[in-house]
Amino acid sequence: MTDEAVDVWVYLQHGKAGLTKDSLELLAAGRKVADKLGQRVVGIILGHKIEELAEKAVHHGADGVLLVDELAFETYFNLEYIDAVYSLVAARKPYVFLFSANEVGKDLAARIAYRVPTGLATDTVQLEVEDWSNPVLGQFKNLLIQVRPDFGTRLAKIYTPRHRPQMATVRPGSFLPLPEDLGRKGKVEKVEIKEGSYPAKVTEVVELPSPVPDLAGADVVISLGLGILRDRTGRPRDPREAYQYAEKLKAAVEDRYHLRAEIGATRALIYADVKALEGLISEENQVGQTGTTVRPRVYFAIGISGALQHRVGMQNSSKIVAINTDPQAPIFKIAHYPIVGDLYEELPKLVSAIGGDGRAN
Amino acid sequence: MLIVVLLKGVPARTTQALQIGGVLNREAMDLVLNPHDLKAIEAADFVKRRVGGKSVAITMGPEAKLIPLMKPLYDSEVLGIDEEYVLSDRRMAGSDTLATSYALSLGVKKVVEKHVNPMEEMVEAIKKSGYSEAVKAKAEELYRANMLPNRIFSELPSIHDSIVQRFLGGEITAEAAIEKIRAEMEKISRFIVVAGIKTTDGETGSVGPQVAEGVSELLGKVVPHSTYVEDFDVESSAVTSQRMIGYLSQKLEMKLPCVLTVSPEYRPREPLASAQPEVRYNSYRGKVLQAFKWTAVDLGADPKRLGLTGSPTIVGAGIDVGKPPVQKTVGSSLIFLSDYGPSEYEGKKYGPFSRGDLTVGLPDPLLSKLRSQGIVVVFGYDVLARELFA
Repeated sequence: MTDEAVDVWVYLQHGKAGLTKDSLELLAAGRKVADKLGQRVVGIILGHKIEELAEKAVHHGADGVLLVDELAFETYFNLEYIDAVYSLVAARKPYVFLFSANEVGKDLAARIAYRVPTGLATDTVQLEVEDWSNPVLGQFKNLLIQVRPDFGTRLAKIYTPRHRPQMATVRPGSFLPLPEDLGRKGKVEKVEIKEGSYPAKVTEVVELPSPVPDLAGADVVISLGLGILRDRTGRPRDPREAYQYAEKLKAAVEDRYHLRAEIGATRALIYADVKALEGLISEENQVGQTGTTVRPRVYFAIGISGALQHRVGMQNSSKIVAINTDPQAPIFKIAHYPIVGDLYEELPKLVSAIGGDGRAN
Repeated sequence: MLIVVLLKGVPARTTQALQIGGVLNREAMDLVLNPHDLKAIEAADFVKRRVGGKSVAITMGPEAKLIPLMKPLYDSEVLGIDEEYVLSDRRMAGSDTLATSYALSLGVKKVVEKHVNPMEEMVEAIKKSGYSEAVKAKAEELYRANMLPNRIFSELPSIHDSIVQRFLGGEITAEAAIEKIRAEMEKISRFIVVAGIKTTDGETGSVGPQVAEGVSELLGKVVPHSTYVEDFDVESSAVTSQRMIGYLSQKLEMKLPCVLTVSPEYRPREPLASAQPEVRYNSYRGKVLQAFKWTAVDLGADPKRLGLTGSPTIVGAGIDVGKPPVQKTVGSSLIFLSDYGPSEYEGKKYGPFSRGDLTVGLPDPLLSKLRSQGIVVVFGYDVLARELFA
């Protein structure tokens, strides 16, 4: 029964600027799973006047797109979207269905999963395909392995062996978007869905600009901690010097690699009330449990010891570079690239290597 | 209005989270109220002060652990809940969000029925006994059990015009009284469910929307939901919610019944003074300080949809997140500058290695040789830059 289900579906969100970053990541996640299964990636897009988004989805990894392009779907309205997506699932039976683990993805996925019914693994950070067996339930070939954080201290594998589709939400930042391939071809199919009537309606929608700085949307985050206040001998340093290196690093990453970079800070540094940093960093720069959770491609932790509250806000970054004088600093437990040394000596070398101006001002 | 708050007991300390085969053993842990639920209680309290009614909490888990946890919530006069229902049954243990939402949905449905039924009993009493002491006795019994709103019957000194009082005083006919009570039954069926945006243990955020779906299925009509609600107002038959979903700020209007999950950003509005008489009529006698326990049988649950059997997801082995799989220290790690091998050295095979690989497991003499040939180098900033951005 369950074997009939085929294809990896990804629910794609879009805004004024086209497909969102989360959606491009989701296409990459779907691509990885579909390649392991030998199945197709099908993008699901709902909206109005969105034909060009279908092509974009194909260029970023989709083999096919189901497009619901109707006036009734111009604005996001959960009940109507849920009915539409559910009707597609019920009629076509995908094997895997992925959503972004953001507010919209979760709003939709939970209710659709209940209606199917099937399981929903939320906030997955890794997806794999493996055979799996269980003494009670038996053997399953090519199961989706849904890896998600479990109590912040470990990751757990979640399986949905007996139900299809295997549904998961994928945490933004867990996958890198595939490079755009204008030569890719895919089948775009328009699906007509009649407007329903509901005991609810959306009466107002405002698309807000991304926050400044947009830490969550950055490809590279360069974060500063209390360590910038002193050098390795404990002598006070002007933290503006470290801030300038961070700015240079940001500029080098942006100019040379065309990535979006932002400057972050720890809660400790922001609330230390350092006069020299006034106007340069504020609460909006805060990375961590009470600040923004970031999962950039590259995270620079500069003078950050790595308290748990900070680590939970950045530990899912794809690559973590940490500079600290203390080799025992907890940040080194999770850093892919530890640099043990005085940041005032190491930063110039790092900035130069990345192609920026490593000289002191 | 019937206000149903969904609450959860979560582990007090993550280090103490005891698991059996991926399922938390809540009976063996110290539990605290899920911190996000406090916003749901605030929201419920706002609804009660805005339109009147009764706030009822439903929680699921071992009752021996949960009842003490809920105690302070209804002991509080200002902020708090009026009645407490614990869904507790071995058959519910190990439920994932789907099975949990199913059980909670049954709980919501049963709570609503429990409040409709006494009104039906009043209708029957009036039909059967007419203007008699029996009707008054029935009304008093139900009112004191906290099961009739002041509008139907009240012992408050400020209320003399409840439906039953007016009927017994000869002001309205039996038919009129029955019609008015039936209108109250309609009203109590327009309930509101509030929950936190997520729990601190599972962190899925799925239960709110799934209960909306579950209740829709059980009632045979669409129950809308709104998640991440930062602000809302409620009237007798509708809720207007303001929510932030990503970069969208959205106003969603919903007819009752409906489900809300309340954002940490939520701040209750001030209730309108002009609505206070209405609030009094819609309110109940007070609080019931003893929690009600419902089992799977009480709920009329399909056992196949509960517990591990009713849970599509299975939590497998944990993966420890310690050091990243590969750690390269600038200035000390040795890496291959180019692809190398496989090669033989003193009868043993090594490699193949790819550019950037660490030289783990290579014998020292071979390592020195490769270093002198420039194949192996100390990991430095140039290679770091390439690995980060190539």
